[in-house]
Amino acid sequence: MGQRGSFSRVLIANRGEIAVRIIRACRELGMESVAVFSDADRDARHVRDADVAIRIGPAPAIESYLSIEAILAAAAETGAEAIHPGYGFLAERAPFAAAVEAAGMVFVGPSSAAIAAVGDKLAARRLARSVDVAVVPGTLEPVAASDPAGRKSIIDAADALGYPIMVKAAAGGGGRGMRLVARRDGLPDALAAASSEAMAAFGDGAIYLEREVRPARHIEVQLLGDAGGQVIALGERDCSIQRRHQKLIEEAPAPGLTDEQRAELHGMAIRIAVAAGLRNAATAEFLLDASGRFWFLEVNARLQVEHGVTELISGVDIVREQFWLAAGAPLSAAAVAAGARAGRPEGHAIEARISLEDPARSFLPLAGRLAPFTMAAGPGVRVDTAIAAGDRVPSDYDPLVAKLMVHAADRAAAIDRLARALEETEIGGVQTTLPFHRFVAASPAFRAADLSTDFVDDHWDGPGSWQAAAARALLGVGLAALEVEKDLPRPGPSAAADAAQDSPWLSAGRAAGVDRWPR
Amino acid sequence: MATMTNGAVRLRAVAAGLPATELVVGPDQAGARIEWRDAGHAILAQESPVEPGSVSIRTRLLIGPVHRRVADGVQVREVVVDGWRIEVEFESADRAALRDRAGRAAGRVGTSGPVEIRAELPGRIVRLLVAPGEAVVAGQQLLVIEAMKMLNELRAPRAGVVERLGVAEGDGVDLGNLLVVLR
Repeated sequence: MGQRGSFSRVLIANRGEIAVRIIRACRELGMESVAVFSDADRDARHVRDADVAIRIGPAPAIESYLSIEAILAAAAETGAEAIHPGYGFLAERAPFAAAVEAAGMVFVGPSSAAIAAVGDKLAARRLARSVDVAVVPGTLEPVAASDPAGRKSIIDAADALGYPIMVKAAAGGGGRGMRLVARRDGLPDALAAASSEAMAAFGDGAIYLEREVRPARHIEVQLLGDAGGQVIALGERDCSIQRRHQKLIEEAPAPGLTDEQRAELHGMAIRIAVAAGLRNAATAEFLLDASGRFWFLEVNARLQVEHGVTELISGVDIVREQFWLAAGAPLSAAAVAAGARAGRPEGHAIEARISLEDPARSFLPLAGRLAPFTMAAGPGVRVDTAIAAGDRVPSDYDPLVAKLMVHAADRAAAIDRLARALEETEIGGVQTTLPFHRFVAASPAFRAADLSTDFVDDHWDGPGSWQAAAARALLGVGLAALEVEKDLPRPGPSAAADAAQDSPWLSAGRAAGVDRWPR
Repeated sequence: MATMTNGAVRLRAVAAGLPATELVVGPDQAGARIEWRDAGHAILAQESPVEPGSVSIRTRLLIGPVHRRVADGVQVREVVVDGWRIEVEFESADRAALRDRAGRAAGRVGTSGPVEIRAELPGRIVRLLVAPGEAVVAGQQLLVIEAMKMLNELRAPRAGVVERLGVAEGDGVDLGNLLVVLR
């Protein structure tokens, strides 16, 4: 099969930066792209960029980006030959992949059977054990917490495993349906809460137990597989800096691993992928404990948000590779060569996920209009975003607005570059995670690769950082105001005094449509 | 007569869930200065706390337009500092002090008690339109102050009887001087 034009027309069942990123790959491969959009995204960037765009429903995701019927109808109407799901939304729903296959189209990702096999977290744990991969100690069968016998069995198992322990949803993901239990007396409440949360989020309240591995680093392996059964590891990523199980910083390779550890890690990931029959792109996630042991966590049978850092160090365009793997082609020579080099990685890449979240208030998600919105550029900088200044980010979806990636010859240079790029990045209108990213880039602990999933709790003082910045903001505005002191509003209750408030520079600013300080 | 203001600004940064931060900046703000780069961009240069006299801290500020006005004469600007988006309310310190006084007075005095009307801007009384003992209605003109070559009317905040006048026609007044007592 040729490398161009695997499909003549591809529908992208997603939105935001990942839809834009996939549209770019389509364009490079000479394939037409079809965007889908909800009413909230009428004017969104992915809609403008695609060759064809089609409305799939109202703003709520459940009626648009999560509607299998609406997306299949859009694909049929536009004559798409393949569907790329991106990440999130329907990307890991086996029934969606199956419906795409049944409709005679190609699903750009693992098969529906493989998605189902690894999407069941417990089946994945059993599978990993069957190929001699250590899984986090815990239970291996799902239990309905609503059933008294089930509840008793899980309490007995927890007592045997010891506390603290994690209660997890069998059908879970993204940190939902997950509870950490410190002591035995907290277990009944945690079982009920995790189970009802899982029922609400995934329609399945079954739960299982996992011992808490802590302190730990979160390290994952990027996998690619072809229809012939060949599977390669493109290298690993360290995604330890998280809050509420959502990643904030990702880097490749994972710093500090020995060659032996890296070989062991990649080998385990490949064994799991082969056993699960994974094709296309997937990621195996592990925890690395303080003693240097890896514990299997789960497999994500899809493109990851943070795939870009692996692209930067491996030189492989993972989305491009996905397209031709989906068309039945073998792994490209470039990918195979990159897989062979992955044990001795060169260069370093770091990604900051810039989201509309308030890092002074427990990363509370936000929405709104962004202006200014100035992204970094220059040597070794890649920005994946669908936002431009003046765009309004709806509250209906993920608050991620940009992925800022940097690439340099080594980790120290990559951190310097990240700090520089974050300084160039300027976003107003809505609070973002930028202060946190700037803190990480300047943090001695991060530079020393002292990484752990507790990094945010251990090091970040959001309110303190805000306070320090507020003091500088006040001093700066105060000094600026004094420069134009004569133009400050005068005390005075009358209309005449109000008129006096319209100082020349304010009026001039308004006339120019900007209303800024002078100069 | 006093100058228009003492040249200080009072600023406040407020964010949900965080304690507010306040600062008064005067013209003699030692060790700090603002350097403009372009409309909106400025560098705040601060003296080193360790080595007085040497500027060691340079913070890039993005000072946005006035995007709203809260209360009378209080402006709000968005400032982006180190990735933080901070809403800064600011007003002249004199005015802020006046508002504080007014706030305290409002808290102390019921609607039926006497009301002290004080100068909210410095200037000269060019006309006195009421006399002691005279009944006034809410909004009725009491006097006119000339400030900065502009005439500013002062009106009754509520109905009442003029108990006392604190000024005569032609007097200069400073901010906060007693003008009229209404009963």
